Amino acid sequence: MGAQDVKPTRSELIALKKKIKLSESGHKLLKMKRDGLILEFFDILNQAKDVRNELDAAYANATEKFKFAEAVEGRVTVKSTAFALKNTPEITLRSHNIMGVVVPKIDSSKVHKSLNQRGYGILGTSSYIDEAVESYEILVDKIILAAEIETTMKKLLDDIEKTKRRVNALEFKVIPELSEAMAFISLRLEEMERENTFRLKRIKA
Amino acid sequence: MVSPVQSRGSSNYAYSVARVRAMKSKLLPKETYARLVNMKIDEIIRFIEESEYKQDVDELARTYDGIDLIEHALNKNLASTFTKIINFTNGELNYILTEYLKDYDIWNIKAILRGKYYGAPVDEIKESLVAAGQLSYGKLSALAEKDSEDDVIEALQNTQYYIILKEYEKGQLWKIENLLDHMYYSSLFQTLGSTKISDRRHFMKFIRTEIDIKNITLLMRLKKYGTIDAEKSADLMIAGGLELGLAEIEKLLPLSFEELLQSLEKYSYWNAIADIADPNIDSLTDLETQLTKYSLRTAGSFSHEYPLSIAPIMDYILNKKNEIRNLRIIVRGKASNLSEELIKNQLVI
Repeated sequence: MGAQDVKPTRSELIALKKKIKLSESGHKLLKMKRDGLILEFFDILNQAKDVRNELDAAYANATEKFKFAEAVEGRVTVKSTAFALKNTPEITLRSHNIMGVVVPKIDSSKVHKSLNQRGYGILGTSSYIDEAVESYEILVDKIILAAEIETTMKKLLDDIEKTKRRVNALEFKVIPELSEAMAFISLRLEEMERENTFRLKRIKA
Repeated sequence: MVSPVQSRGSSNYAYSVARVRAMKSKLLPKETYARLVNMKIDEIIRFIEESEYKQDVDELARTYDGIDLIEHALNKNLASTFTKIINFTNGELNYILTEYLKDYDIWNIKAILRGKYYGAPVDEIKESLVAAGQLSYGKLSALAEKDSEDDVIEALQNTQYYIILKEYEKGQLWKIENLLDHMYYSSLFQTLGSTKISDRRHFMKFIRTEIDIKNITLLMRLKKYGTIDAEKSADLMIAGGLELGLAEIEKLLPLSFEELLQSLEKYSYWNAIADIADPNIDSLTDLETQLTKYSLRTAGSFSHEYPLSIAPIMDYILNKKNEIRNLRIIVRGKASNLSEELIKNQLVI
């Protein structure tokens, strides 16, 4: 909105003053939200780093245990044992609010199971299979946890970015333009006031 | 489905042992494994393709390639070798070996039921079959082609396994699997009956050692990974061990892993695991490998003790199984970039 486009009226000036006040308080709130989100983000970032490291370690371990089981027991045995368990982990998604940002909260059925809940008979299998299965169960648990934390982190990042854009728009565009328009109207009104006074004096004379 | 149990009659020990000794001389010598571990994967595959396994590799080369080809060829060779032994043995000897190799029938039935339960493609189920037992590959293939677990069980109703299989409840495969494994040993004891006959006595000793090793491994697995209560764990244990009877096992069940290791010190199996048995051990695989080595050594010593009995044949069967296991570890281990040290530790030589 260019300063020249506004009507230099007193009511417009009052409306602009209200808008500036609103924009300034909005700017202050958004800045506070942005700072709060950044603090939350750094908290989550640390958790995400830890979970990612644990996930990488769990993946490396699971891959090694799997290769090991495959080498000792054979791919045929590992594959056949895997057929014994059809259940997939049940995941429930809930939402959770961090400073107005809706982030997911993932509740899942426990993937890590005891030896007799894995679907295969214990007598006909070996510890190579147990260890491969256990390491993959741990990996899936970590993946679910990492999914929750990393999605939260991405949502927070998106919202920080959005809030930052709004703060900047208010700070560098909206408020300066409104202030400029207000200054223009004030100047114009003063000018009109002076013209009026001069006109009255001329009529009197 | 199952062919009737062979008549017992007189055994052809001299002939069978001579043939098995000849077959044993074709097993890979110990030094070969060290050489194989140092070879590249292509060289190992070429070595296997040019060895005793050549025919099996050639036959399967149209269907599989690479490491899978080698693994399937090894399994095929194992099945044909055991079938050959069953075919040249007679009478009592043949009867005992047939009973012993029913282990493979149970494995195949489990593999088919798992595949059907999961809804796996028929070809994938067939790939997991090792027809080294009494059920031929043709019969097993026909089972694998059935539509559901219930149809498979129905098709097995004339077998000794049906009494357990009929109790199958959807999603409870593990119960059936454990019961089938229990049945294998109880049926071995039952069918072999009297241990007055020396051959059966030797065989029983061998089986009871195998049961002890299975029970010890199971105890360690339950303590290390399991959260199963002592009562349920007791149901899993196999009766008839040589040194560890069920009464002794029941005493071991409530113990912690550390206490279990201490209690095992009084059994002969301790010598096999003493060097690596540590209460804080991360993995049980090395302990299991050591116990497998012990089992092989025991079979070897039986075979020298009773040269004209079932012992040399059992020794060969175990050594053949072990050769296949070792080759698979080397091939798969190399292909998966496992360290040479890790591969060497798992080899039972």
